[in-house]
Amino acid sequence: MKHEEITQFLLEELKRKGAEDVVLQLGCGETTLIKFVNNKISTTKTWESTNLSIFASKNQKIVTSSLRSFNKETAKKCAENMMKSLGKMQPNKDYQGIAKGPFKYAKEQECYDPKVESLTEEMVDMVKQAIDTAKKKAKRSSGTLEKTFAESYLLTSNNVEAREKGTGLYFSIRTLIDKNSSGYGSCVSRMKNKIKIQQATEHATQIAQLSKGPKLAMSGSFDVIFAPHAMAAIIDRFADNASIFSVESGLSCLKGQLGKTIANPLVNIYDDPTIPNSYGSTPYDAEGTPTQKTSIVEKGIFKNYLHNASTARRYKTKSTGNAGLISPRAFSPILKEGNYQKEELFKEVKKGIYISNVWYTRFQNHETGDFSTIPRDGAFYIENGKIKKPLKDIRISENMLKILKNISALGKEGTQIKSWEVETPTTVPYTLVKNVNITKPN
Amino acid sequence: MDEDLAHFSIEQARNLGASYAEARLESTTANSLVMKNGTIEASSFDSFEGIGIRFIINKKLGFVSTNELTKKRISEVVEKALKITKATKGLGENTELSKEKAEKAKYEVKQKLKLADIGVEQKIQLLQDAEKAIQNTKVSVPSRYVVLSDTDCTEYFTNSDGAKILAHVPKMNFYYFLTISANQKVTQRYWVYGASGGWEQVLKWNIPKIFTQEVTSMNNVLKKGIKTPQGVMPIVCGPQVSGIMAHESCGHPFEADRILGREAAQAGESYIQLAMKGKKMASSIVSIADDPTIANSYGYFLYDNEGVKARRKLLIKDGKINEFLQNRETAFQLKTKSNGSSRASDFEKEPIIRMSNTFMLPGDYKEEELFEGIKKGIYMKNFMEWNIDDKRLNQKYTGAEAYLIENGEISTPVISPILEVSSLKMYPAVDAMGKNVEYHAGDCGKGEPMQGIPVTLGGPSIRLQGLRIK
Repeated sequence: MKHEEITQFLLEELKRKGAEDVVLQLGCGETTLIKFVNNKISTTKTWESTNLSIFASKNQKIVTSSLRSFNKETAKKCAENMMKSLGKMQPNKDYQGIAKGPFKYAKEQECYDPKVESLTEEMVDMVKQAIDTAKKKAKRSSGTLEKTFAESYLLTSNNVEAREKGTGLYFSIRTLIDKNSSGYGSCVSRMKNKIKIQQATEHATQIAQLSKGPKLAMSGSFDVIFAPHAMAAIIDRFADNASIFSVESGLSCLKGQLGKTIANPLVNIYDDPTIPNSYGSTPYDAEGTPTQKTSIVEKGIFKNYLHNASTARRYKTKSTGNAGLISPRAFSPILKEGNYQKEELFKEVKKGIYISNVWYTRFQNHETGDFSTIPRDGAFYIENGKIKKPLKDIRISENMLKILKNISALGKEGTQIKSWEVETPTTVPYTLVKNVNITKPN
Repeated sequence: MDEDLAHFSIEQARNLGASYAEARLESTTANSLVMKNGTIEASSFDSFEGIGIRFIINKKLGFVSTNELTKKRISEVVEKALKITKATKGLGENTELSKEKAEKAKYEVKQKLKLADIGVEQKIQLLQDAEKAIQNTKVSVPSRYVVLSDTDCTEYFTNSDGAKILAHVPKMNFYYFLTISANQKVTQRYWVYGASGGWEQVLKWNIPKIFTQEVTSMNNVLKKGIKTPQGVMPIVCGPQVSGIMAHESCGHPFEADRILGREAAQAGESYIQLAMKGKKMASSIVSIADDPTIANSYGYFLYDNEGVKARRKLLIKDGKINEFLQNRETAFQLKTKSNGSSRASDFEKEPIIRMSNTFMLPGDYKEEELFEGIKKGIYMKNFMEWNIDDKRLNQKYTGAEAYLIENGEISTPVISPILEVSSLKMYPAVDAMGKNVEYHAGDCGKGEPMQGIPVTLGGPSIRLQGLRIK
């Protein structure tokens, strides 16, 4: 990569001018997206960019910047500006330095597929197949198929030099029987032969059919089966809470909870960016620490905050390999699966609700965990384990910790979800939660 | 900025068979400062350039962008993008654009105090003054997270119809998230301020005063707040609440692309249907506007990202559905004209229908007059949690600073009153509008990939009758 030379030059320039810690993240990527609307492709989009993100510190002062024009002159000017800016900054007393390399990284598995990288017109056929499948039972479908190829190069002042290359496919479909009856499906894969477009489309279509003619809005306390799309939205937010940065910012319900029981003992949640063909997998974090499986909740007990090297030193613990350039974050949260077949979960519910998807999750209070989220697409009333009727206009008005405590059964199979609502790829099974507060508008 | 690159891109697309092409060349500098619990975490400064090219070939719509600003690279990406778009053939939707005047214009937002002249020390000082203001209140505020940022964007738009528009718009944004504690309880409050213009806009906000008021008021709610009485009663909502209502349950559902189903994949559709135009949906005193031309507003622009001249749109006029937000694509489909509502968050994104500054128009009442005659009701000054369904009907607003209204006056603070209501019930319930319009800032999300875009949500204090408070 020709840009690597400039990256190396910039590191030397910054060091020469007195920077103590330097992190340089070079990313080159291209994404193609096909958007389809009402059974037709409405637009195709391709965007590409090359960007060098830069972190530099001196005397505990931190400045970040970026470089997009790759020549020695601009790199020199960038280093000059950063050092000038550092001189005017105030020290961040919380800052304790970046990770010390060198590190050894495990070989990535199933993260790059040349067949995905070279996909172009074939994407149209993939979309066509999905639309045709949906058309058999649904009136119309809308969605996106997105292909990404990205290369990255990481260089730090602490003996880290690493490279990564990855591909990704993300498919998303909403099928509609009529204006009020829809179903949603999505799937992600790094490898072409593992993307389950057919399965996602059939799931969306099945939900759309079941949700035909929703009339009833219910309120009260119900046992609720969350489909993976719905539960992933909640676990994605929960994993954000586990970042120590969130805790310090007041954006977490996990303040003071280390070692305490916060969930039903059958609940295990971890972050694991090391799994093959996972959309969230990465061999190293933003400062080069090798990523790892980190337990967040183990048998209901809160085990670990997510740290980078600096926060770990401050809290006298080890980095969990979750660094972002400034704050730690989860890469690939997982709610561990349980023992139940999907049908067995339904049998557990005498009178309850099945929610296929949610959106617009917002918090009244992040520290207490009070929030609400809105079921989207099919939601159904269940009686004696069977779907009885589709519902509309309901809302989950709940508390994050109460939801975790009331998880009473987990499906056997985890599904990785990435969607508009779930930004971090999150793996969850079908989940039964007892006594969920459901509200409706007046 | 080499404007010729934009012209070159269009020529390339046209030479390769595109019937229409447009290019947006962007050069932006961005700065931000993050302070957490009184400590400056990091300062960030950034600059980027790039070009986004949209085209129609064989009636199919395509888009491509790159930040490698050379003719060679632009030629390569345009050729590649046209090839993919052509491949949609029979499956592609036929797209045509409404005929619009090919505008030629240059405009910029003046800065009395230029952002480029404001050093990071001055910004740090302002945040530290705000921190001191919190300390002076003696209120316990264990977590304080604030971000002060600005962008200076120059954008050149041109299209194959002959439009040529150069715009220079600097914007700034202040976000805060505060956690206030008392009596072993915590409450939280976030809000955003935004404007276009120079540093003088930031000074106008008076950030230390905002913090003093927020923490004092929320501390009072925590210490003296009572459980919210439930039931049907009059509700007075402050400008922040009426603003979010106008944005969520009027602005979004009036986007013509949602109505036509173009956003069904992610952002959703709309409870509004084309046939509802002209029908009454709100009480006669409700009018809601979307107006990008308001000076120094956060959602400011004079020409949209399709080169169409921007203007004020009255979405709801005297309670009736009056006008939808249109771009050239929906305008062609609906046999009308674009009203200049097409925006892209940056050069990497396709322009789509977006709000700008969306607000309820004021009425005749002073805010205190709205309380008159209310024996028992709720005043929801602002809110924390809110959401709305994907058709924009079922919405919820949970009050942050809120009070009981008793015998025509504000009395005891109440904890988290909830208004959970359908849009079709909410708008007819408005029976009085205040004079006190305020414009607040927001970042609105829509599109694939997600485009966060600066908007204003605004309105006066409003009174609603016959709705249930939970």
